[in-house]
Amino acid sequence: MRTLKQILGGNLQQYTMVLALIALIAVFHFTTDGRMLTPSNLQNLIAGNAYVLVLAIGMVMVIVVGHIDLSVGSVAGFVGMATAISASQYNFPWWAALLVGLLIGIIVGCWHGFWLAKMGIPGFITTLAGMMIFRGLVIWVSQSISKPVPSEFQIFGAGYLPEWGPAFTGMNNSTLLLGILALAWFVYAEVHRRQAALKRGVQSPLWVMLVRLGLMAIVIGTVTWLFGSGRPGTSFPIPGVILVVLVIIYHVITQRTRFGRHIYAVGGNRAAAALSGVNTNKIYFLVMANMSFLAAIAGILFVGRATAAGPSDGTMWELDAIAAVFIGGAAVSGGIGTVVGSMIGGLVMAVLNNGLMLMGVGADQTQVIKGLVLLAAVAFDVRNKNAGRPSLIGNLLRRKDATAPGKAEPEAALKA
Amino acid sequence: MKLRASALLTALLAGSLALTACGGGRGATETETTSSGASQSASQDAGGSEGFAADATIGVALPWLGTQNWMEAQTLFEQQLTEAGFKPLIQAADNKVPQQQQQIEAMIEQGAKVIVVGPIDGTQLGSVLGSAKDAGVTVIGYDRLIQNTDAVSGIVQFGSIRTGELQGQALLDGLAAEKGEPPYNIELFGGGPADPNAPDFFKGAMNVLQPKIDDGTLVVKSGQMDFTQAATQDWDNARAQARMDTLMSNYSGDEIDGVLSPNDGIARAIITSVKQAGQASVPVLTGLDAENESIVWIAKGDQYSTVGKPTELLVGKTVEIIKSLQAGQGMPEPDATANNGTIDVGLYQLDPVVITKANAKEVLANDAARLKLFEDNLS
Repeated sequence: MRTLKQILGGNLQQYTMVLALIALIAVFHFTTDGRMLTPSNLQNLIAGNAYVLVLAIGMVMVIVVGHIDLSVGSVAGFVGMATAISASQYNFPWWAALLVGLLIGIIVGCWHGFWLAKMGIPGFITTLAGMMIFRGLVIWVSQSISKPVPSEFQIFGAGYLPEWGPAFTGMNNSTLLLGILALAWFVYAEVHRRQAALKRGVQSPLWVMLVRLGLMAIVIGTVTWLFGSGRPGTSFPIPGVILVVLVIIYHVITQRTRFGRHIYAVGGNRAAAALSGVNTNKIYFLVMANMSFLAAIAGILFVGRATAAGPSDGTMWELDAIAAVFIGGAAVSGGIGTVVGSMIGGLVMAVLNNGLMLMGVGADQTQVIKGLVLLAAVAFDVRNKNAGRPSLIGNLLRRKDATAPGKAEPEAALKA
Repeated sequence: MKLRASALLTALLAGSLALTACGGGRGATETETTSSGASQSASQDAGGSEGFAADATIGVALPWLGTQNWMEAQTLFEQQLTEAGFKPLIQAADNKVPQQQQQIEAMIEQGAKVIVVGPIDGTQLGSVLGSAKDAGVTVIGYDRLIQNTDAVSGIVQFGSIRTGELQGQALLDGLAAEKGEPPYNIELFGGGPADPNAPDFFKGAMNVLQPKIDDGTLVVKSGQMDFTQAATQDWDNARAQARMDTLMSNYSGDEIDGVLSPNDGIARAIITSVKQAGQASVPVLTGLDAENESIVWIAKGDQYSTVGKPTELLVGKTVEIIKSLQAGQGMPEPDATANNGTIDVGLYQLDPVVITKANAKEVLANDAARLKLFEDNLS
């Protein structure tokens, strides 16, 4: 057990949902006669859920600062419709329509930020109003009629990476390149981490690093193979690439920058953060502005895939995003939650949805199951927090570790 | 440090995307042959040379089960496809477009040979149906037009302009029969704008009603005669009822004689609203779908008419086409074609029937459940 803990990096709590996700995928893979882990299904899974995951990136930041954004679905729908109209009615070239959409997202975000940060209206109210305003605007500007988007948008919503280079790899070489890059980055980060640990005199055996890298290579290799070996012309989908880029950017912003630390500080204890010199209003403003910007991206991804913007696009998306964030371990009271965790939460929902569909379960029952999973995940979290325990699995391990104490603490400290 | 590394990674990603221009790799020649092969086999399906297994999986993607006609469609597809020896795979999407997109993809994954699609929004399935076509799946539109895609082989539906004309005529007949001499006060309601049939229903009805409005037989007091003004977002009964509540303010001291309603749910919402506004006599209403509740209301004399689009006929026609595809005879000759924005799609059209209190017994003769409902509530 201790070996396992060393390999996974000491803190198993963050892996609970990953393990749940893997278990879920495995169960569905077998109950659907192997239809889960096929290239085309995984490509669909990512392309079909990228918009929710993009929303969840922004939503986790909003929830961490202690607010909630109910307007994201309406804003995404409005942006999708605005891009479609500017292209189809005003004959904007596609890139100009895209810029119009992103700009509208930012302006809407500033509008929300203004009411929240400058006027002190709670985020719940500001964005509830926004939800109505922008839903109304979608219907108003579209006359309730769906509008087609230029075919270039399909690249963002449902496109694939190019095929190039040697054919002997037997898979999409763009996907292969991404896989190799990802692996290279993990190797680099791992070596760097170990060196830093050694420099500080912390014991960090070589074999642990090698096993970790080996596991990582297997995981990344499998994923690359699954995405890359589909029908020629398909690859890791472009909406997925956009998502991954956004996740990397926002992971770095929230975890490695001063702005990121301020977000957690304000969410954890606003008064304390303000007293230590954090400009809380500025943080609120930026987080809200950013949320609507990401909602704009989500809206564009969606209309790209749908090939048209409809008057009811975005209905209930906010709730899907919020569910992803909470399943991903964020706290309702703010201050806790990570971008990567929310992605895992979103994927749990996506895999559930996809797997139940592959099994032929109806939308009604799927809805019930998703509701129960959300409740179970959050209840699990809340119960553990109340009891001061990290999680069921972490708890089991801790008890075993009690016989051999001492190791867990320095490693945990190192993690933080 | 980490920051710089991820910036580097981002740059590399962008670089790999920029490689778009370079050809080669696994795809190049192969992609072309497979895509042309796929479209060839699709056109062969349409032309009718090769069939598929008699026990093949057939996907049916329905928009939702919130109204009786879709619920019936689900049951009937299950029955008729099973009887025909196919393996039916039926899913409803709760009126959510992304959900429906994913369901159709799941059906492709499950190896469906034909996918019958009752779209939520006929314009928003383009890329999903494109991938169905690439996978060699034949797509048949059910009840609603599927737009802006070349991946649909035909649409089975009741003629929607014709349906509207029948509704308009039923309204005129009802007014003449029940409301004495003209002029008559009427109001107009349309269906959900996202449903491509809704404007056609309205157009069909206006083909009949407009001349009568112009000659003063009919008076629309609110002046709301455009489809966009009359439309009911998402076919939502509650919205229609709220709009009728507002319209009733035009009728203080006067009575409303008739209302054009695009379907039964909205018709009942309108009747409820008029009653709540305190008007003693019920206006003449049209409807659509012959829902059970409306059959009861017709029997009781509350709702004047509905238009029956027997789901049995629609499902029967669809299954007939699937059988023809299975036998390798391709799509049958369509009754008409309609431009869906990308191609001319074949339409397989069926004629709906008007049901009033007077003719219900004859029309419902083959529908034991509804007939019983009608007779039990006859007053």
